[in-house]
Amino acid sequence: MTTPPQSGQEPDTHVPAEALMTTFEAPEPDAEVAGNGGKEGYRRKPGQFKEIWRRFKKNKLAFVGLIVVAILMVIAIINPFITPYDPTEQNLANTNAAPDGAHWFGTDDLGRDLFSGILYGVKLALIVGWSVMLLSMLVGVALGAISGYRGSWVDSIIMRSTDVVLAFPYLIGAILIVQVFGNGIITVIVALVVLSWPTAARLMRGSTLSLREAEYVEAARSIGASDSRIVVRHILPNAIAPTLIFSFSHIGVAIVAMASLSFLGIGVPADIPEWGNLIADAVPYLKIDGKSHLWVFPSAAIVITTLAFAFVADGLRDSLDPKLR
Amino acid sequence: MGKFIIRRLVHAILVVIVATFLIYLGLFILGDPFSSSGEKTIPPDIQDALRAKFGMDKPLIVQYLTYLQNMFTGDFGIDFEQRRDVSTMIGTALPNTIRLAFAAIVIELVIGLLAGIIAAVSQYTFRDVFVTVITTLAIGLPVFVIGIGLRSLLSGEGIFPQVPRSFTVEVPWWQEIILPAFTLAIVDAAFVARLMRGSMLEVLRADYIRTARAKGLSERRVIGRHAFRNSIIPVVTYTGVSLGALLGGALITERIFEYQGVGYLLVRAISQHNNPVIVPLVVFAVLVFIVMSTLVDILYAYLDPRIRLH
Amino acid sequence: MARNEPPTDFTVENPSAPLLEVDDLRVHFNTDRGIVKAVDGVTWHVEAGETLAIVGESGSGKSVSAMSILGLVPSPPATFPTGDIRLRGRSIRKMPEKQQRKLRGKEIAMIFQDPLTALNPVFKVGDQISEMIRVHQQVTRTNARKRVLDLLGEVGIPNPGVRINQYPHEFSGGMRQRAMIAMALANDPSVLLADEPTTALDVTIQAQIMQLLEKLQEERNTAIVLITHDLGLVASHADRINVMYAGRIVETGTCDDVFYRPQHGYTFGLLSSLARMDRSRQARLIPIKGVPPSLSHVPPGCPFHPRCRFATEACSAELPPLESVNGGLHRAACIHSDQVALAFAERTAE
Repeated sequence: MTTPPQSGQEPDTHVPAEALMTTFEAPEPDAEVAGNGGKEGYRRKPGQFKEIWRRFKKNKLAFVGLIVVAILMVIAIINPFITPYDPTEQNLANTNAAPDGAHWFGTDDLGRDLFSGILYGVKLALIVGWSVMLLSMLVGVALGAISGYRGSWVDSIIMRSTDVVLAFPYLIGAILIVQVFGNGIITVIVALVVLSWPTAARLMRGSTLSLREAEYVEAARSIGASDSRIVVRHILPNAIAPTLIFSFSHIGVAIVAMASLSFLGIGVPADIPEWGNLIADAVPYLKIDGKSHLWVFPSAAIVITTLAFAFVADGLRDSLDPKLR
Repeated sequence: MGKFIIRRLVHAILVVIVATFLIYLGLFILGDPFSSSGEKTIPPDIQDALRAKFGMDKPLIVQYLTYLQNMFTGDFGIDFEQRRDVSTMIGTALPNTIRLAFAAIVIELVIGLLAGIIAAVSQYTFRDVFVTVITTLAIGLPVFVIGIGLRSLLSGEGIFPQVPRSFTVEVPWWQEIILPAFTLAIVDAAFVARLMRGSMLEVLRADYIRTARAKGLSERRVIGRHAFRNSIIPVVTYTGVSLGALLGGALITERIFEYQGVGYLLVRAISQHNNPVIVPLVVFAVLVFIVMSTLVDILYAYLDPRIRLH
Repeated sequence: MARNEPPTDFTVENPSAPLLEVDDLRVHFNTDRGIVKAVDGVTWHVEAGETLAIVGESGSGKSVSAMSILGLVPSPPATFPTGDIRLRGRSIRKMPEKQQRKLRGKEIAMIFQDPLTALNPVFKVGDQISEMIRVHQQVTRTNARKRVLDLLGEVGIPNPGVRINQYPHEFSGGMRQRAMIAMALANDPSVLLADEPTTALDVTIQAQIMQLLEKLQEERNTAIVLITHDLGLVASHADRINVMYAGRIVETGTCDDVFYRPQHGYTFGLLSSLARMDRSRQARLIPIKGVPPSLSHVPPGCPFHPRCRFATEACSAELPPLESVNGGLHRAACIHSDQVALAFAERTAE
């Protein structure tokens, strides 16, 4: 809605725009993210990061999630130093032992210390999670931006490719790729990236499309900025938000996917103490008393990790654009 | 509407062609599916029979067409393990998967829709907060954690059948289906509830709801007809896609509960490197998914007339 | 009121009462920023066949007061500390919800600003109008459908047979508003509340819509309450005007009264900031300085005084009552109304 139009045959009698300001709600003291005064939609300024961070902190769940993620990262990085035992060291004399002073989480069916195994699993999960997130975002953002900005046949090809990839149910697709290229952590990462980039690309394309017609883009074009410059400097910073949020929330999905695959015996080799593997090993002992530690601890690890990343992603979404809530 | 349907169908067919080709590429070209490798040794007579059936000695084009033909006529050959006719194996397992899929969908819709509507209509009250919290947690639980948990806690207790159990134990289908169906339904129900709540909250703020009230409609009609019809659209999309995935086989859940559906079949086949079983199941899962996605798109256009112009 | 009169019973109809009457209505919202007084003591009435315009900026309370009539203001968070709304002397507010609902769409109907969002996008237009009829009258589907076709024709929609099966997004803006009008008038209401009916439309379409409303009003003797910020619309189509500011009526009178002899600082400001074609050489346009107040912190005394060029100390002391200068129906809530009138006369003489 723009300025109020005049009424047909009468002399020009419309009320000036300033008299029509809505002040039912007092304006928010903090300015909105994209669209700061004169430099509308320019690259995010450092001041905006503070603003985003402030909003993020307000969300208790997200903040807790962030702390948990930080702890997990630390665990992953200093991993060899904090595992009481070598996670792969087997001790066939002491298998499936319940938790006790020597082994805080007990031992698994190969006699490996479960606590060390779980910690090792953190490292694995985070490596896979972050790799998938970063790589799929890289590919998705690049292709999505090109697709949205260029349009025409480039757009068609990229979109058709996303259609084909998205035609595969997530697990089936992953299984297929791993079947073809063999087991291994790298294959799992590749498989998950292949399955994740289409959604990232579509989100990026969507926001690129809507920003492509924005006025500041027109302005940049009119002063002769080249296409790539426009995309990178003007569109990208603003369009990237939905994709960023999606990719972040996708970390948990990737970790669960990897665990699911190894649970089914695919992907990560069975002798590596990855959470999915550990749970798979626990299946024969499910109804046996005293052995519940075998599945409870890895499951808890997965749930905590997934929830932590999910909360952070939620918080990110709320703080990047409060209106989305 | 008709033109829209045709466009979507054409699009779906193209995707099917490309997808099946990719599967073919992966499984047949990048590796001989019928050779002995690694741990598996395949009796030579089966190997020859399969190679003949899939035309492996003929030129690639013929191979590809034979593969397509076999896939679509249900002629899958014989499996490695027990020399059974693959299509019969699939035929026995499929109805179980279908039953499980629909059971899960029904449960998740009932729970999810109710929870979502109640939460939206009584926003910010205790009921709403309760639903929001529960759904947030449920979404963080992977399906196999839930499945494992339920199996370790409940299998063999009361009406829940023992897992694992031997073939000789007869269990009525409705007993067998409860735990796996709930495992599948819990997370999806949480999604449905959130979707419905969010969608309904947005819809309830819309101008046309105000108009509906201004017309003197009862609150029940305003919510039950005007608001519901608009809010349900994203839920339909999500559920349809969910159903498509489930019909292809809920791999993990079926594995956990040893539920004799196509998912379990596929999982076992993978560990046995039993390619004659793997290939048709993968193709089937993908096909079903594409079909469901297309149906969902068409249904969406029916529900939201604004899309038809697209 | 004389002391010996018996108290009026507002639960039954009173033939001598005005058709629709709003009596000292207050609508307050409880927000975390304090109490927002969206409507703060508003009294007016409208008779059959006349058009009352309620003019004001966004946030002046004009829409909220109209929506309160139909009970469309969600409560909580709204409260109604005082006030009554009466249809033919019978209190609407005291009616149970079920009875109020019977009035909505039957006795009192409303059309809204943006017909695209005001119509349900997933139902056919014909079905939505038909619903309006069948909720209030016992008619069969077929008869309702016939009636819808007639209505579509009456509001000037060509090809009603085709249009009845179409969806709102397939209509043009003007046609959508016509359809809304058809829907509002389907049960022949006595009062039509029109909330910014032309704001979202093109200029030429605006004129058509207003003409349509006038024609229908003539035919059915409907009372129309026209809520708008567009003074031009008001000048050509209203009989009487209420000027609202910060939830109160600051001036009321006939069109001529208010347009040619304004008596409130705000009305003066509004009229002076307009460019007018009937002046040979434009005098300086005088915008109103400042911004409208936040409705949770309305200035004491006259709410307009911080922005008013005629304001004095006395203006912030007490809220001026809405009263007339010469005893007629033209009233203003301003203690300096004579000054205002004088200043305006000088301006127009330029």
